[in-house]
Amino acid sequence: MSSEPIERRVSYIGDRLKGSKCSLCGKEYFRIKDYCGTCGRKSFSKMKDIDFFYEKGMLEVCTTVRQPTNKFVKLGSYIYGIVSFHNGKVRVPGRLTDCILKDGDHVDVSNLEDREVVPRFRRRYTVEQSEVIPTISLTFTFADEYYPHQEYEIVKPRKEYETPGIVGYGVYVPRFRIKEPTMKRSVPFIDEDSITAAVEAGKLALIHSGIAQTLIGKVYVGSESNPYAVKPIASKVAQVLRLGEEDKTEGLQSVDAVDTEFACKAATSMFKDATALVYYPGAHIPYTMVIGTENSQAAPRNEIGGELDFFVGYGGSAFIFGKQDVITQIEGWYSCTSDTPDFWRRDLQPYPRHGGRFTGEPAYFKHVTKAAKKLMEKLGLQTRDIEYFISHQPNVSFPIKVAKAIGFKEDQYMPGLQVAKFGNTYSGASPIGLAAVLDQAEPNQRILLVSYGSGAGSDAYSLVTTSQIDEKRKRQKLNVQHQAENKYIEYVDYDTYRKLKLGL
Amino acid sequence: MSVGRTKFGEHYEKEPEKLIEEAWLKASISAGIERKNLNAAYIADYFLQITNKIGIEEGFLSELTELHIPMEKTRSFNSALLNACNAIQAGKYDLVLVGGVEKMTDRWEKIRDDLMLLEDPWSYYAGCTPEANHELMLREYIRKYGIRGENLEKLNIALAQISVKNHQHATRNEYAQFQKEIELDRVLAERKKANKSLGLLDFAPISDGATALVLASPEVAKQHASQFVCIAGSASATDYITFPAREDRASFTASRIAMQNALKMVDIQPNDIQIAELYDQSTFLEMISLEDLGFSKKGEAWRDVYNSCIDYQGFYMINGRELFVNTNGGLKADGNPLGATGGAQIFETVKQLRGEAGKRQVKTEKQLRFGSILELEGFGTKAYVHILRRD
Repeated sequence: MSSEPIERRVSYIGDRLKGSKCSLCGKEYFRIKDYCGTCGRKSFSKMKDIDFFYEKGMLEVCTTVRQPTNKFVKLGSYIYGIVSFHNGKVRVPGRLTDCILKDGDHVDVSNLEDREVVPRFRRRYTVEQSEVIPTISLTFTFADEYYPHQEYEIVKPRKEYETPGIVGYGVYVPRFRIKEPTMKRSVPFIDEDSITAAVEAGKLALIHSGIAQTLIGKVYVGSESNPYAVKPIASKVAQVLRLGEEDKTEGLQSVDAVDTEFACKAATSMFKDATALVYYPGAHIPYTMVIGTENSQAAPRNEIGGELDFFVGYGGSAFIFGKQDVITQIEGWYSCTSDTPDFWRRDLQPYPRHGGRFTGEPAYFKHVTKAAKKLMEKLGLQTRDIEYFISHQPNVSFPIKVAKAIGFKEDQYMPGLQVAKFGNTYSGASPIGLAAVLDQAEPNQRILLVSYGSGAGSDAYSLVTTSQIDEKRKRQKLNVQHQAENKYIEYVDYDTYRKLKLGL
Repeated sequence: MSVGRTKFGEHYEKEPEKLIEEAWLKASISAGIERKNLNAAYIADYFLQITNKIGIEEGFLSELTELHIPMEKTRSFNSALLNACNAIQAGKYDLVLVGGVEKMTDRWEKIRDDLMLLEDPWSYYAGCTPEANHELMLREYIRKYGIRGENLEKLNIALAQISVKNHQHATRNEYAQFQKEIELDRVLAERKKANKSLGLLDFAPISDGATALVLASPEVAKQHASQFVCIAGSASATDYITFPAREDRASFTASRIAMQNALKMVDIQPNDIQIAELYDQSTFLEMISLEDLGFSKKGEAWRDVYNSCIDYQGFYMINGRELFVNTNGGLKADGNPLGATGGAQIFETVKQLRGEAGKRQVKTEKQLRFGSILELEGFGTKAYVHILRRD
């Protein structure tokens, strides 16, 4: 029914909830209008672009949908209603997401009405496997629950650093979890995938950094669970988050966007490239963004490769690099690589396989240890010079074992060990550990981050926090702890998890 | 001059052409005219393109009738009728066939998605269903008038009574899709089963069917028939396709405007109308139409319905006057083959005004003179009002 041009136009407006405002009378519209219906032709060229992507809405009226139309059937029952923005200046249709409604559940809609909601970027409905994945932000969650409303306020930078580093970051995991013997794993809602998590994480990083999104010159998205074999996630991130200067007439963003893949180190690998790019004077790129996003794949438990189904999570993390208002400087890095086939997925195969015990010693431990030790050697560091150590965390035991082997103590490696709360988020795993550390680090502390990607390789980074880490922390309500210890977390059983994970 | 229709329901064995032929034959025989007398034809359908892959309906009609007269296609029957009226008033034609046909059950699995073509795409993208806007509007209504507690319960009962009443009417309509009574408790049970404010028995069904009428200029009508019904008022209005973007979401602006303009044409008041065919796609839509057309006071229609149905006598008692509503069973029980639905509304009003409604014939103290018809396209996106008069 849909077509690629329609998909492009709907996404262009709907992903960001773009609208127009008449600067003569103040009337607002959802969707882009060239003139105001009230003011007529005198309003031509007087219409201002607005969007509701960072806004707070109000669910005015709603109803339960128990019998969706065909493309929405996989969503089961859901709440549909009218959401208003700006005190009723604009009203849009909307679906409540992140809500599992059972057939027998009675919903008193009056308890849901008049509550504040936040737009969420999600998949729209089910299409054929071969078709373009439709997305939209006419999906909402309550602002007083798991995901609070946060303003995106652009703050003028006040300090430029000699050494570039991280200026802001964001982590996104959904509110659903499944409990396993050794960990809790984050579970996507059915309308989520690695694309939506990338956008969410990027949005949160922008909010935290306070930089103008137009100043981002390049975005890298690392993932091994892109729902497309060919089509970047990064282009969606660039468009929805309006990265780089925007050419509105053509609908183009002046930004370089690229996807990267190297199993679980697809994102961390680009940290150094992102850092180097902002440092190179000829580039004129003040900021870069690196996202690690994953709807970590695993075969069902009764199939080959199903061992992973006890560990995989879902989520994304985004880091913005620059030289101004840096919260942690990157003082050095070291990477190593070998062709070690410990984990792979062949083209057209739905799930990855891995080499069992072979993933341990010759793969994970060898590369992580090597990278960590080499970097410490390069920078002349001892373990006592490092406050926090974070390594890739496919499970709870590997990172602890490797940390101990290198010589780190519990208070150094525990703050960054987050896998028990969210599961293995592949490309997002060690970055989420880093984010958790940045959430609590004091100024002038050293952090050693070592990622691991199967195939295989490791990147080690040494980061030193600045005094600005404290003040920026206040801007992010949705920090790692908020998402790990939240009363709105909902636990699902295995069957529900598989259904949600498979998506629309 | 005359009206004709098929039974509404599922017609597995019949193609759309067969249905329209059946309706046309009934109308033409009753009017005593033949195909060759026609100057033009207006044919209404919403979905034949999708359900039956018929892209140029006029061509099918031309082949069926072996006529080469001007033909035009509209969506709703009342739209076809309005266009036919305009043409006759303009002096262009004297004798016109107006028809409507729909074959929804041929696409049973997908028809609810197709129905979303009548809403704005953004609502569809957000997860709207053909029923959802009815429920949202009901919520808007409840909130606007602050209806709660016992009154809210009465409103809910009143809506269920509309369904019960329409089914009761349909038992006397040999063309109706559902010619059986239903209990109030069943309507409520269906809501409870679905955990929703409006349940299965609050909504009109998916139907096949066809309707037709022969419309003539007064001069030609007088030549052919001794008894005919006049179209005294004919008006339409439009509203935004996006329901959430409308300023008033607790009533249909288009219905109100169309009715006002139709009444002006006839120079009468709402309370001069004794019989009304309302577009009850849902029980709530029948109720809200009582207000939109000016029969009931704003925010009060549910009371009028509730009180009238305590001991239902075949009509609503509104402001001390009797109003017969959906005597054919309405869309709920008579059926709702979209393009043909308006034709069944006209059919019923004509039959009642002429005293030819048989078992359904309403009994009034004053002779029946005016009947009104409201048909909507989409969810109040277009409203058509026709006022018929028996001279």
